[in-house]
Amino acid sequence: MSVMQNNSEKSKWYLPGVLGGLSVTMKHMVGNLLNRKKMMTLNYPEQMNDYSPRFKGNHVLTVKKDGSLRCTACMLCATNCPAECIKIVAAEHNDPAVEKFPIAYEIDILRCVFCGFCEEACPVDAIRLGPEWQTPALNGGQFIYDINHLAYRPNLKGGIQTHVDDEERHKQGI
Amino acid sequence: MPKCTINGKEVEVKEGTSIIEAMQVSGDRIAHYCWHPGLSVAGVCRLCVVEIEGNPRVQIACNTMVTEGMKINNTSEKVKDTVKWGLDFHLINHPLDCPICDQAGECGLQDQYMEYGKYDPEMAEAKVKKHKVVDLGPTVVLDSERCILCSRCVRFTEEVSKTNELGLFNRGDRTEIGTHDGMPLDNKYSLNTVDICPVGALTSKDFRFRQRVWYLKDGDSVCNGCSTGCNIKVYYNKEGLFRIKPVYNEQVNGHWMCDSGRNAYKFVNREARLLKGIARGTEMAPGAAAKSASEVLKSTSGDAVALVLTAQYTVEEYEAIIKTFVEEFKTKKVFFWINNKETFDSFDGLLSRGDKNPNTKGLLKVMEKYGISATWTDLSAGLANGSIKTVVVAGPENQAVFPEYNEKLKELSKAQNLIWMQAGKNEALTALTGNVWIIPMKTFVEKDGTFINHSGLEQKIKKVTNVVSEALTVTEAALLLSGKNLAMPMMAPFMPTNQRPDQVELEARKKNEFVFRRGSL
Repeated sequence: MSVMQNNSEKSKWYLPGVLGGLSVTMKHMVGNLLNRKKMMTLNYPEQMNDYSPRFKGNHVLTVKKDGSLRCTACMLCATNCPAECIKIVAAEHNDPAVEKFPIAYEIDILRCVFCGFCEEACPVDAIRLGPEWQTPALNGGQFIYDINHLAYRPNLKGGIQTHVDDEERHKQGI
Repeated sequence: MPKCTINGKEVEVKEGTSIIEAMQVSGDRIAHYCWHPGLSVAGVCRLCVVEIEGNPRVQIACNTMVTEGMKINNTSEKVKDTVKWGLDFHLINHPLDCPICDQAGECGLQDQYMEYGKYDPEMAEAKVKKHKVVDLGPTVVLDSERCILCSRCVRFTEEVSKTNELGLFNRGDRTEIGTHDGMPLDNKYSLNTVDICPVGALTSKDFRFRQRVWYLKDGDSVCNGCSTGCNIKVYYNKEGLFRIKPVYNEQVNGHWMCDSGRNAYKFVNREARLLKGIARGTEMAPGAAAKSASEVLKSTSGDAVALVLTAQYTVEEYEAIIKTFVEEFKTKKVFFWINNKETFDSFDGLLSRGDKNPNTKGLLKVMEKYGISATWTDLSAGLANGSIKTVVVAGPENQAVFPEYNEKLKELSKAQNLIWMQAGKNEALTALTGNVWIIPMKTFVEKDGTFINHSGLEQKIKKVTNVVSEALTVTEAALLLSGKNLAMPMMAPFMPTNQRPDQVELEARKKNEFVFRRGSL
């Protein structure tokens, strides 16, 4: 990682920036005090804030068109994971076109730091960080997400399809 | 002795050395797939090209001999360009399924691609599809698409195992490796083809998909499968051992090892091991079990005590336990448990020997040193008439090569007190009741020592890893059995040297080495 440093004369003038930020705060505070009806509040949990689509929330394992897992158990995500929270057990698939697939894929979500390295390491677009972020659970065991939860939890509605499809890739000769 | 210059360095080599061998001597790196030091030269991969001064074209290094005054260069732009285009040809039909391929991480093609890769392919044609997951035989699976047709495996079955199962079939880019009709790749050395495959075309059924290679650490050892004593590398991580591969040693095994030797990791793994000692039916720590057995040994004197040894332990261990018996217990009743005497001298002409113990010579040497001449008939007679009351047994590590294990166990359990030291689990053993002590032992990867092979060559083995850390070596057991305590070697504490004198000292601790290694990827 490269670190950028701004050593110009201008960067030493920090006070205008601080005061500018403070003025925004003051403007909102005064506005809220004088006009309480229009105060920006959210009645959580009835109302929820939508995050940007780029938000990296809980993991999703994508599926192929037939609904089976896209993951080939190459372990690159597990290798790349700085928190070491991914555990995969590979096995041989009966279908020679698939060859290898995970029989266990577990993420210890309490250890996960949501850095997105797994998503970047995946060569087949099998794991993504989804938009979900509210994931309470009653006990520790429920924070270990298995294949069933990662790929087929109810709000994924049968699984999210990858745009990279094996058969199409094969036909194109890649 | 011709002298040549390789990349500016002057090297003197033997007459008839090829350039690629000279480069191994000089330590220069050169790409090669089809050339293997243990096989004949095929010259099919065309990647080991070099530029020779005075020669307008680049030459392959594996099939060109060094001559006096030759000036060789493989770092020039011309060579680099040639390798790059050669690699492009190799990759024309090679699938990029590295996520699935077991060779990923130790693949020559991957390495070369990173060094010379032509990242933009210029082929307009689609790849030729070949057979995936071809079952070649009981041990090996072939993926023809990944094969780059270096023919190493074919030459191996022709030249080394001499079984001729494999061949190259069809022509051009439809060429595939395959077995001759009705002849599966089924010989005692078949897994060597997996070792020498430079890409992931041949994979071992045993290791396939079980672990990615970059999670494995390796350590050198000596195979304890038979008395040849092949030099090996064991691959392991914190979950246990995963595979064994041969290491080149001209004196012993050359480049190869047999398939049955590769199974030696299985009896080392935790699921096959005794974890707790048993003393008269109560479970306890191995050391405590040995200590409790020492009381029995103290009470039985002299010739009522016998020691039975198998040839599966190291010379140092034999030395320690026989010395204890001769000097402390004043008995010379030490017996050699021979597993298959008739086949000891058989030899298959390549590596595998009938004597399936790694250290028969070593045991005989130590027994000779202490002037021990007792035979098994003495033991049988002693057990039958009850003159031998206490028997200490150093049982087999590799139980598979002791077919008469259960009979011997039955015979030995006639003794009043039976003290059995063994590494692996055995149901017949743990089912024994009465005055029986079972002490878990360490295996050959967990201790230092010496094996003496069939030809009398002494080979040192070093500790590779700990699988069952609480298990004992025979040396430690001998100390405990004679009533002494173990002297634990004090490790130098892991502590900073620049500590203030008044600083509170942390308990010495060892960092998790597996976490350390992660960064080296």
